[in-house]
Amino acid sequence: MKRLLIAFFALALGFPAQAQDKLVVSIWGGSWRDLVAETVAKKFTQETGVPVEFITGGTIDRLNKAKLTKDNPESDITFTTSHVGWLYANDGLFEKLDLAKIPNAKNLADEARISPFHLGSWAYIYTIGYRADLLKGVKFESWNDLWNPALKGKLAAPDFDPSHIIVVSAILSGGDAAHWEKGQDKLKALKPNFKAFYTNDANSQQLLATGETPVQVVLSMNAYYMIGQGVPITVVIPKEGGVLGVDTVAIMKGSKKAELGYKFINALYDPVVQAEIAKLKKGSPAVLNAKLDPEIAKLPGVFTTAAQWKKQINIDAKLRAEKTAEWRKWFAENIMN
Amino acid sequence: MTNQPYLRTFVTPAALCALAFVVAMAAVLQYSVRAYIPGSLEPGGLTLANFTALLKPLYARVFLDTVWICFLTAFCTLIVGYPLAYALVNVRNPIAKSIVLITVVTPLFLGEVVRTYSWIIVLGNNGFINSVLLKLGVIEQPIQFMFTTFGVVIALVHVTMPVMVIMLAAALAHIDRDYQKAAESLGAGPVRAFLTVTLPLSMPGIIAGVTTAFAWTFSAFATPQLIGGGRVNMVSNLVYQLGFASFNFPFAASLCVAGLALTLVVLSALRLAARPLEKIGPH
Repeated sequence: MKRLLIAFFALALGFPAQAQDKLVVSIWGGSWRDLVAETVAKKFTQETGVPVEFITGGTIDRLNKAKLTKDNPESDITFTTSHVGWLYANDGLFEKLDLAKIPNAKNLADEARISPFHLGSWAYIYTIGYRADLLKGVKFESWNDLWNPALKGKLAAPDFDPSHIIVVSAILSGGDAAHWEKGQDKLKALKPNFKAFYTNDANSQQLLATGETPVQVVLSMNAYYMIGQGVPITVVIPKEGGVLGVDTVAIMKGSKKAELGYKFINALYDPVVQAEIAKLKKGSPAVLNAKLDPEIAKLPGVFTTAAQWKKQINIDAKLRAEKTAEWRKWFAENIMN
Repeated sequence: MTNQPYLRTFVTPAALCALAFVVAMAAVLQYSVRAYIPGSLEPGGLTLANFTALLKPLYARVFLDTVWICFLTAFCTLIVGYPLAYALVNVRNPIAKSIVLITVVTPLFLGEVVRTYSWIIVLGNNGFINSVLLKLGVIEQPIQFMFTTFGVVIALVHVTMPVMVIMLAAALAHIDRDYQKAAESLGAGPVRAFLTVTLPLSMPGIIAGVTTAFAWTFSAFATPQLIGGGRVNMVSNLVYQLGFASFNFPFAASLCVAGLALTLVVLSALRLAARPLEKIGPH
C-alpha cells in the first residue's frame, strides 16, 4: 500500500520518467517547439523509430533547471541561443561533441560552429525593421540612419538584450564588441529617439503593428512573421551588416541517450530539414548546402553562401556571455533611465 | 494538544511550507552577498559590492518611483473602488447587484498579462481613447498614455480593483445600517450621514484595502513592464532587467532584498500613520 502511495505521489508530482524509448528535447515553447516538432523531430523519428518529447520554457527557466539537475538532466538535447549556450558549457552542462558522429555538420557555416559543446541550429539577424507607411521619406541604408533626428521618439529596441545596438554603436565609433566603450557617447546620442524597449517578440509585434514605435531594432524572423500577418514592415540590412544571431543545439552532459542525440543533431543538419526550417521561420539555415526556395533565399537575414554570413556583424558568443551583464547594466543606467 | 488530536496533522504541512519559504529566502539572502562572475552561473566569494552598487542614483530613483506608483495606485483604487463597494453592499436590486459584482470580479478571471495587453489597445496612440478623442475633435494629436507613469497607474488600478472592492465591501457590510438611519433621523442629510458615520466606520476596511493594494502593487511586474515599455520601471522590472536578463543573479538577489526591506519599512510607516484612523473605525 505504501509503495502504491509513493508511486501515486511520484506520478502526481510529475517526477521525470526514466523512459528509454524517447528522446527528450528542451526548447522554447510555442512556434519554436512546433518548428522542431514538424521538421527535425519528424525526420529523426522516421529514421530511428524513437519518438521525441519536448519540455518547454523560457531561456532562463531552462538554464536554471538544467543547473539544478546537473549530471542527471531532464532533457537529452537543449536548444538555446549561442551566448547562453556558453553559460551551459562553462558550467559543465553540455557534452563535448564528437563531430565524427554528425556527418552533416561538415556543411555548417563557420559562424555556426560556436564551441566544442554547442553548434548553430539556425540563424537570424537583428536589424532595422520599419513601417514605411508611417515614416514617409525616411531611408535606412546604414545603422547611422537610426540617429536621424526625424526619428525622435519613434524607435524601440529589445530590453532583454541591448548587445545589438551597443556593438553597432561601438562599430560606428571605430570600436568593436571587445572595445564597446568607444560607442558609449554615440549611443547616448540616440537616447532621444528611443520611445520604448520591448520585452519579448509579442511586445515587439504589438508596438510595430499599432505604429506605436514605427521603427525597431528587430529580430528578422519576428518581422517576417508580422509581414505574414499583414503588417506592412520593411526589413533592411544596413551596409554595415545585420547583427548575427545563432540559436544552437547541444547534447546534455549525463544524457543516457547521447548516441540518439547525435542522430537528432545529424537530422537537424539534413539540407532538406534546414530548407524546411528556413521556409517555416524565414530564418537562415546553419548549413551551406540547403536548397532554398528563391523567394526565401532573397530575404534579408537568410544566408545561403559563406560570403553572406561573413558580411554580418558577428559578436563572439563567449565574449557576449561574459559581457551581457555589464552591457545590460550600462544600458539600463545610461539609456533606459 | 491532547484536546486537538488533528492539530499536528494540519499544522505539519503549513510548517513544511513555511520552512520551504524560509529556505528560499535564505538562498536569496546568500546570493545577494556573493560576487558575480561574468560568463558563469556559479557565484563567487562573499562581497557587499551588490549592495554598494545599489547606492547609485538610478536605483534610488526606481525605488522612490515604485513607492510613488504604489501610493498613487492604492489611492486611485480607493477612490474608484469605494463607490463600487458601497453599491455592492447597498443596492437592493439583484440585477444591479449582479452587474456591479461581475464588473468588479471579472478582472480576477483574466491573467495580469491579458489585462495589460487589453490596456495597451485602449491606451495606445492609435488606441480606443485616442481614436475617440481624435474623431470627436477634442484633441489634434494623440495623448501619450503608453510608457508613462499615468498609463501604468491606470492599468494597475484595474488590476488592483477587485481586491480593494472586496475588502471594502466586507467592511461596509459589517456596518449596522441603523447608525446611518439614526444620523438621518437626527437631521443629517445623506451626504453628512455618510461622511460622519459610514465613512469613519468603514475606516478599518479602507486601511486594510489601501495597505493590501500598496503591497500588491509593489510586486507588480507585467503591467509596468508592458505599459511602461522600459521607460517606467518598478523594482521588479529592475530585478528582471539587471538580474535575470543578464544572468547576474547575485545583483538580482540584492535588489530583491533591498525591495523587501523597503516594503517592510513602507508598510510599517503606513501602519503607524493609519493608527489614529484605526481608532475611528471600531464600533
